[in-house]
Amino acid sequence: MDTSSALSLALPIGLGLAAIGSGIGFQGAIGKAMEAIGRQPEASGKIQTAMIIGAGLIEALTIYAFVTVFLLMSKIQ
Amino acid sequence: MVWTNLIEHLGGAPLHLANTEAATHAEGAHEAVHELPSLIKLITTFMDESPLKHFLLEWEGMIYAFVIAALLILVAHLAARNPRMIPGRLQNVVEMVVEGLSNFIVGVLGPEGRGFVPFLGTLFVYILAMNLSGVLPLGKSPTSSPNTTVALALCVFAYVHFIGLTRNGPVGYLKHLAGNPKSLVEWLFVPLMLPIHVIGEIARPVSLSLRLFGNVTGEDVLLFAFCSLGVTTLAAIGSPVGIPFQVPFILLAFMTSFIQALVFTLLSTIYILLWLPHEHAEEAHH
Repeated sequence: MDTSSALSLALPIGLGLAAIGSGIGFQGAIGKAMEAIGRQPEASGKIQTAMIIGAGLIEALTIYAFVTVFLLMSKIQ
Repeated sequence: MVWTNLIEHLGGAPLHLANTEAATHAEGAHEAVHELPSLIKLITTFMDESPLKHFLLEWEGMIYAFVIAALLILVAHLAARNPRMIPGRLQNVVEMVVEGLSNFIVGVLGPEGRGFVPFLGTLFVYILAMNLSGVLPLGKSPTSSPNTTVALALCVFAYVHFIGLTRNGPVGYLKHLAGNPKSLVEWLFVPLMLPIHVIGEIARPVSLSLRLFGNVTGEDVLLFAFCSLGVTTLAAIGSPVGIPFQVPFILLAFMTSFIQALVFTLLSTIYILLWLPHEHAEEAHH
């Protein structure tokens, strides 16, 4: 297997795996935040702020994989 | 077919397998990512080879960034030119934005955070405008280039550390980097904690810039992919227009643009919060 076919196989799979990881992370973060807002609607502002920070950090993991895909895409002939 | 050729030429994306070779040779392999053509790219396709053309193509993102900054300055100037007690339409809108941002930042940083509102608020408005510029027809997101996002993240990095140095003093700054050691055990762990904190500080601008760059580029590439899909499906019957497959993704792009601008601002706010001295005084009090 040459580099370019190995990359064209591995990049989408890698990105998909990273997305699965982030999805699991989001399930915990946003699910719990929604529960918390349901329990205490008056604190929704603070919870939302914290949730968005967390979501940003979780999402960054997929974005790292995404940036790697961009960087390596030029190596595919 | 003329239309598909034009799009292919502008975006540099091979729409037909037969043309792949020609397209990559013509455009050069340096551009791996394809976005919808901007106004500057459109103009340069009608220009002959000249230094000006190369300049325009190379500085595309910078030109858009400066134009957006100029527009924002113009709007702010017009709104603040003669402030009245009963605000006009423009003054009302701008006041609403400023007040919302101010409340948001003060809500995170506390009352003394009001001093940081100009920097952080400008950051939010500027990034939002740059992100949305990629959604507009003939626009381009300057933030879809790592150059812009790294510059923004370095600004935040410099600002945060300037605040850390001035608010804590040089000794307090180093102590903060060492993890605020108090007991003997904590002092013994300083050689371990100091490198960890330094690496953490360096990782912040890296993750800030990569997050913004990746998200905005992803959003623009998605729009291009669905645009070209819409054009190619109707290209067989020679239709001059394609199916607007990209419309639902434009709505998605609006959302990501807003959220990414918010996340960038919010994380910058949190980094400032972590360097402000009063946090630790409170912790010691408990």
